[in-house]
Amino acid sequence: MTSHQPPPVLSVEKLIKDYPGVRAVDEVSFSIQASTVHCLVGENGAGKSTLIKMLTGALQPTQGVMKVNGTTYQPSSTKDARRSGIATLFQELQVVDELSVLENLTLGMEQSRFGFIISSDLEQRVTQTLATIEPSIDPSARVSSLSVAQKQIIEIARAASSGANVIIMDEPTAALSEREVERLFTVIRRLREQQVTVIYISHKLDEILSLGDTVTVLRDGKHIVTKPLSEVAGRAELIDMMIGRSVFQSYTVRSAVTDEVVLSANGLSNSLLNNVSFDINKGEIVGFYGLVGAGKTEIARALFGADKVSGSILFKGQPVGNSPKEAIAAGIALVPEERRTQGLFTNLTIRENIPVMNIRRMSDNGVFRSADELTAAVNYVEKLGIATDSIEKHTEKLSGGNQQKVVLAKCLFSDADLLLLDEPTRGVDVGAKTEIYDIIKNLADEGNSVALFSTELEEVLGICDRIFLLYCGSLESVIINGPNLDTTDILNVVTGGDRGGTQ
Amino acid sequence: MSVSIKANKTLFANRRISDQMYITLLVASVATCLFLIASVLVPNFFQLQNMLNLVTNNWAVISLGVGVTFLLVSGNFDLSVGGIVALSGVLSVWFAQSIGGANALSTGLGLPYWLALLGALGGALAIGALNALFVVKFRIPSIIVTLGTMMVARGIAQVITQGSQRNTNLPDEFGVLGSLKVFGTSIQLPVVFMAALLMLAIFIERKMLFGRLTYWIGANPTAARLSGIDNAKHITYLYLFSSAIAGVVGILLSSEFQSGYSNRGMLMEFDALVIALLGGIAIAGGFGSVIGMFFGAIILAVVTSAATGLTLSPDWQFILKALAVFLAIMAQTWALTRRNQ
Amino acid sequence: MKTVNLMSKSTTFVYSRTALAGQVAQFLRNYYIYFVLIAIIAFLSAANLDRFDLFERGNFLYEKNIINILRVSAPILVLAGAFTLLMVSGYIDLSVGSTMGLSAVIYAMLAINGMPFWSAFAITALCGALLGAFNGLLVVRFKITPVIATLITLSLFKGIALLLVQDGVSAIKSMGDLRMPQWFNAYGREGVLMGLPMAFWVAVGVTIVLIVLQNRSLLGKYAAATGGNPTAAKLSGINTSKIVFILYAIVGVCAALAGIARASFMSLGDPLSGDGMELTAILVVLIGGTAFSGGEGKVLRSFIGALIIMTLTLGMLTLVPAYYQTLVIGAVLLGAAASNHFISKKGQTLSE
Repeated sequence: MTSHQPPPVLSVEKLIKDYPGVRAVDEVSFSIQASTVHCLVGENGAGKSTLIKMLTGALQPTQGVMKVNGTTYQPSSTKDARRSGIATLFQELQVVDELSVLENLTLGMEQSRFGFIISSDLEQRVTQTLATIEPSIDPSARVSSLSVAQKQIIEIARAASSGANVIIMDEPTAALSEREVERLFTVIRRLREQQVTVIYISHKLDEILSLGDTVTVLRDGKHIVTKPLSEVAGRAELIDMMIGRSVFQSYTVRSAVTDEVVLSANGLSNSLLNNVSFDINKGEIVGFYGLVGAGKTEIARALFGADKVSGSILFKGQPVGNSPKEAIAAGIALVPEERRTQGLFTNLTIRENIPVMNIRRMSDNGVFRSADELTAAVNYVEKLGIATDSIEKHTEKLSGGNQQKVVLAKCLFSDADLLLLDEPTRGVDVGAKTEIYDIIKNLADEGNSVALFSTELEEVLGICDRIFLLYCGSLESVIINGPNLDTTDILNVVTGGDRGGTQ
Repeated sequence: MSVSIKANKTLFANRRISDQMYITLLVASVATCLFLIASVLVPNFFQLQNMLNLVTNNWAVISLGVGVTFLLVSGNFDLSVGGIVALSGVLSVWFAQSIGGANALSTGLGLPYWLALLGALGGALAIGALNALFVVKFRIPSIIVTLGTMMVARGIAQVITQGSQRNTNLPDEFGVLGSLKVFGTSIQLPVVFMAALLMLAIFIERKMLFGRLTYWIGANPTAARLSGIDNAKHITYLYLFSSAIAGVVGILLSSEFQSGYSNRGMLMEFDALVIALLGGIAIAGGFGSVIGMFFGAIILAVVTSAATGLTLSPDWQFILKALAVFLAIMAQTWALTRRNQ
Repeated sequence: MKTVNLMSKSTTFVYSRTALAGQVAQFLRNYYIYFVLIAIIAFLSAANLDRFDLFERGNFLYEKNIINILRVSAPILVLAGAFTLLMVSGYIDLSVGSTMGLSAVIYAMLAINGMPFWSAFAITALCGALLGAFNGLLVVRFKITPVIATLITLSLFKGIALLLVQDGVSAIKSMGDLRMPQWFNAYGREGVLMGLPMAFWVAVGVTIVLIVLQNRSLLGKYAAATGGNPTAAKLSGINTSKIVFILYAIVGVCAALAGIARASFMSLGDPLSGDGMELTAILVVLIGGTAFSGGEGKVLRSFIGALIIMTLTLGMLTLVPAYYQTLVIGAVLLGAAASNHFISKKGQTLSE
C-alpha cells in the first residue's frame, strides 16, 4: 500500500527447524512489511509456534536466515530479540502485579543517578504511549487491580515504548471477552498508525479477516502463501489454504460402538462453559474439538471432578463426585493437558509412575505390592511399546512420546471405563502419535469409552466416532464421523462462523 | 505369560541403581570414609564402644529425623519437633506429679502414670494437628507454620514450668522408661525405641503404600491430586506421625532426667533437619530416604565427636555442621548432574 | 471511570457501593497496622492503670516507660526494614540472629581493645556487609535454596562468634585489666535526643534511608519486580542476581547494626545475643503485611510491626510473668500468618 517500497522489517529465508524425527519448519521464506498487521495462520502442528520461537530467540533454526530491516538477525534469547526491536506478548503475562502501571511501563528503562530514579521525559513518553493506545487506564493504578485484557495492553504499551517496532502476539484473545477483543483491536490499529508492525497469530479467522493486512499460511511446516488479505476472498479460502488437500488418516466405522450411554452431562456451566450437554456411549471414541480457550480442558477437568462446575454429570447412572479421587473410583481417568506438570512424576522411575492411579489394587492391608508393580511396569512397557532400556529409568529422561505413554499406562492401570485424554499427542513425534492412536482404538474396541479433547482436527477426524465442536465455551454442534465430511464446515464452526448443521 | 517373562529378563538385565540408591550409597561411603579418617587421626576413636556411642548418643535426634525425613520427602518442613519434645516431656511430668506439693511447681494433676503419658502424647499430637491445619487448610508455607508451632509448643511448656523445670513429687515409676536396660544388656530403652522406629520407618518407606504416597505427593503434588491421591489427608498423617515421634522422645527424655524442662530439645529441630540434608534428602520433595538420613546422622556424629577427640573447643561443632551441610549439598548436586549427563 | 458512565444508573449505584467497600477494605489494609498499635497501647494503658508498683505515675503511657520500650526495640527496629526489602524480593535470611551475635562480639572486641567508637562501628558494619554478601554468594552463585543457605550460615556465624570468645567466659566483657570504654554503653542507653539513645536514632535513620530506597531507587523497584514476577524482571533486562546479592549485603549491615545496639545495651559482646532474631524479624514483617511469596511489603509498615511486637512483649511483662512470652509470640506469629492468608485470599482463585 505504501508508495515507496522500504525493505521488509522482518524476513525469513529458507528457514528450517528439525526436531528428532520431525521437520517442524520446512524451508519457509516470506517477508513482513513495516507498519502492517501480519497474520500467521495454520492448523496446530503447522509450524507456527516453532517459527515464532525462532523469531523470539527461544529456539535456534537448524538452517536458514532471518533478517531484520535487511540485516542478519540471530537472537539467542528473548532479551536479545527485544534488543533488536522484536517484542513478544506471551500467553503468560509478564507484568509485575505489585507495581503500578507507570512503574511497569518504565521497568528496566529508568533513568537513574547514583541508583536513584530521576524523573525524565521517559515517564511522560510512556504515559503518552499508553494514552494513545488506551486512554482509559490510569497510569498510577496498581497492576493487580487490572483485568487480564488491561494487563495485556500494559505489556503492549511497554513493548511499544521500549522502541520495539515488531510486536508478536500469540493468541492474544484467548482469555478475552468480546468487548475486550474489540478494544485490543483498536489498540493494534493505533499501533499500526504509529509505524509498529504486529505479527498476529490466531485461530479465530474472523479476527484475522477484520484485523489483518497480510496473511501467511503455513501447513505441515511448509509455507503455503503470503498475500494481502484484500486478495483473500473470505473464510472459505483461508480454510482451504490451511487444510489444503492433505489426506486425513482414514476413519473406518468401528463396530464396537454401542448405544449404551455411559456418561451423560447436562447443562455444565462455569466461568467459561455455557450450558454444555452431551452423552458418551460405551465403546465409543468421542472427540471434543475446538480452538485454544474453547473450553475443552474445562470440560475434561469438570468430568474428572478436578474443577467445580454447575450442572449434572451422571456416570453409569450415578452422579460423579467432585474430586479426582471419586472420579477414579467410579472408573474415570484423565490424561491431563500438561504432561510434565500435571501428569508425570518426573523424578521417579517408569516403574514408580505406573501404579499411582490404582492404589487400592496395589495395597495389601497397607503393604505395597512391589511384585505386582514390577509385573505391571514390564507389561505396560511391553504393551504400549515404551522405548526404554529399563523400567528403572527416570521419566524425565524419556522422550515426549514415551512420557505420554507412561501417563497413558498410569490411566490404563486404573482400570477406567472412561478415559479422558486432553491433548494426548501434543509434542509427540509422528511415529509415537500413530502408536497412541492405535492404543486408543484398541481400548475402545475392548468396550471402554474414550473422550479425546484436542485442538488438532486431523486427530479427531482420524479416530473419533462422534465429534463435538466447541466454540467459546459452548457446544456448537455434533458431527458423526464418516467418509464425506466437509472439513471446511467444521473449521467454520470452531472459528466462530455460522453454525454448522447437525448431522 | 511367556512373553512377559522374556520382557522381564531384558528389562532387568539393564536395571541399574536409581538416583536414590546412588545418593544413599554416596552418603554411606562418605560416612565410612570419615569414620576411617577419624580413626586414624583421633586417638582411641576406633573402639567398639565409641562406634556404638555415635548412634546411641544421638537416639533422640535420629528418631526426630524419621518424622522430619518423611515430611521433607513430601515437600514440607517440620521445625516444631524440638518444641514438641519440650512440651510432651513437661506435660508428662505435670500430669504425673501428685496433688498438693509444697509449691506450684511441685504440684501436678496427680493422674495415673499411664494416663499422664497418654495425655502428654495427646498434647504432642495436638501440635501436629495444628501444623496440618495451617499447612493443609490455610496453605501457609510450612516453614512459617512450624516455626510458629515450635514457639507455641515450647511456650506452653514454659508456662507450665514457669520458665524453669518441674522435677519433684513424681511417682517412683516415672524414671523407669528412660533408664530401663533391655534384656540385661547395657542398651537402654530409648535406643531400642530408635532402632525399632528406624526399622518401622524403612519398612513403611520401602514396603508400604503409605511410603509410596509420600514420594508421589512430594514429587508432584498436582499430578498426585489428579491421580486421585488425597494430599491433604496424607500430609495430615505425616504431621501427626512426626509429632507423635517427638512426643515419645520428649516423654523418654523427661523420664531419663526425671524432670520436665522447658528448654529441652532446643535446636533439635535444626539438627534433625541438618542430618536429613546431610543424608541427601532434597527439600524440593520426592527425593530422599530414611537410611540416608541415618547415615547423615553418622556423618554429623563422626565429625563432632572427632572434633571433641581432637580437643577442639565444642564451639567448633557449629562451624563443622555448617561446612558438612554445605559440602554435602554441593557434592550431591555435583554427583547428580554428573551422573545425568 | 469511563466505563462507569456507560452503565445504567442502578449498576452505577452498585458499582459505587462495591467501590466504597473496596476503598474501605483498601484503607483498612493500608492503615490497620496503626490501629493495631494504638489498640495495644490503649489496652495496656487501661489494663495497667494505677499500677504504682510497676510505673512511677501508675500509667503505661509514661515517658520513662516509652523510652525504655524504644531503647530495647532498637535492634529489631534497625533490622526490620532491610529484612522487609529482602522478603519483598522473594528471599529470606535465617542467619540474621547469628550475624547479630557475631557482630556484637566483633564490636565488643574492637571496643575493649581500645578502638574508638566510630572506627569500631564502621568496621563492624563492614563485617556485617561481608557476612550478608556471603549469604548472597551462597544463594545466587552456588544456587543453594535460601532457607538452606542461610541455615548453613546461621550455624557458621554462630560458631565463629563462639570461637572468638575465649574459653571459660560466655561473652566479651570487662574483666581484669580489660575494661569496656565508657562510650560503649552510652550508644544503646544514654539519651541524646528526646531522651532516646543513639541506637534508636540510627534505627530511625536507617529506616528513613530504606524507605527512600524502596520508593525512589532502582534497587527498591527492582526488588519488588524480582519478587513479584522474576521472569518479567529478567526479560526487562534486570540483573536479579545482583539485586538479591545487594539486598543480602544490606540485611547483613543492618543485622550488624542490630548487634551493635544489643551489645551496647547489654554492655557485653554476647555471641548468642541474636538468637531467635530471625523469628522476631519474620514475625514483624508478617505483621507489617509483607507477602511471603514476595513482591509486596513496605519498610515503614514493618517498622510499625516491630513497635507492635515490642510493645506487646514488653507490655505483657506488666500483666503476666515473663515465661508467657514465647507462647504469645508463637501464637501471634500463627495468627499473623493466618490473617495474611485470609486477607490475600480474596484475590486467589481455585487454581491449584
